[in-house]
Amino acid sequence: MLRFEATQMILRHAGDRPIVANLGPTTDELWHAGHRDRNFYTYGNMGLCSSLALGMALSTPEKVVSLDGDGSLLMNLGAIASIGREQPKNLVVIVWDNQQWGQTGHQPSHTACGTDLEQVARSCSISHTATVRDLETLEQVFCQALEEDGPWFIVAKIEEAGYMPVSPIEPEMTLYRFRNSFLKK
Amino acid sequence: MGVRRKAMNWAETIVESLKKWNTSLIAYVPDISIHQVTSLIDNDPYFHLVSATREEEAIGIAAGAYAVGRNAAVFMQSSGFGNSINAIASMCIPYRMPIPMFINLRGGPGEFNIAQVPMGRSTRPILDLLGLVHFTLDDDYKMDKIVDGAMKLCYANRQPVAICLTQLLHGGKLA
Repeated sequence: MLRFEATQMILRHAGDRPIVANLGPTTDELWHAGHRDRNFYTYGNMGLCSSLALGMALSTPEKVVSLDGDGSLLMNLGAIASIGREQPKNLVVIVWDNQQWGQTGHQPSHTACGTDLEQVARSCSISHTATVRDLETLEQVFCQALEEDGPWFIVAKIEEAGYMPVSPIEPEMTLYRFRNSFLKK
Repeated sequence: MGVRRKAMNWAETIVESLKKWNTSLIAYVPDISIHQVTSLIDNDPYFHLVSATREEEAIGIAAGAYAVGRNAAVFMQSSGFGNSINAIASMCIPYRMPIPMFINLRGGPGEFNIAQVPMGRSTRPILDLLGLVHFTLDDDYKMDKIVDGAMKLCYANRQPVAICLTQLLHGGKLA
């Protein structure tokens, strides 16, 4: 399953729900798949994608989607424990797991060497979990996660087909657009 | 006969100011010296106190709350500030996120642990290098005005502000 196709599928189903994207290609691909005010792009804060999403989920009734990565989440495994402790029903974490640090030279990550992030999540009291390897199954699980209470933790084994052009690096605009969309309601 | 209001202690002063600035999500890593204030927060239904496993995670959680329109602050120790620097530098500053940071500043008079001195002493110079405003409270003289003014400045400037709380203020753990 290609990450970009999976990202397009997520956007098709997400409606107006907020989506937080991990830094690098995940942010770039979300921008290219469909730029919208409710995309929260990240640029430097590696490891904090799902922590941001947790803070959002605790502060809005809307369902929040985190598009995290295996390398980034490995940098902050404590985020999974905090999600398990808080149990936000409106949080869906998807981990794009390519089992490598893609941007730094494709070095194998710990998920290529025995670490099972779904089991980590289950050990942290997150009961709605899945590991998926094809787009059809991811679509099924994601649609269920949008309808049913979570927290959800979905590991999606993905591949990448080269890198897309870098999206605009405008953190202050990202925050302004995103935050305003909540204040207006 | 008029009832004289009992003066608030330092912990109550912080809680009042957080409420005044609608700052209702508090992300923290526990610290014994500022337990007095975080326990007040924990017992007050106005707040949602979120335990993080590490201080950079606390910054991320607070930032997420702010991003959807809820003001949020963090509480930590100066050693934990060391753990959170990249979150502040690569996220709060470029996005312009106003996150009030309450920091138990170690390494000052009365410090008993050599390991707490380097990070405690370098916390404020690092804040200066990042261009962030900070205030240090050694006692509660004008504390309400300083904390309140720091919160106002934080939200006006849309950058983190640090309020450093020393042992002289909170009388925390000495050995």
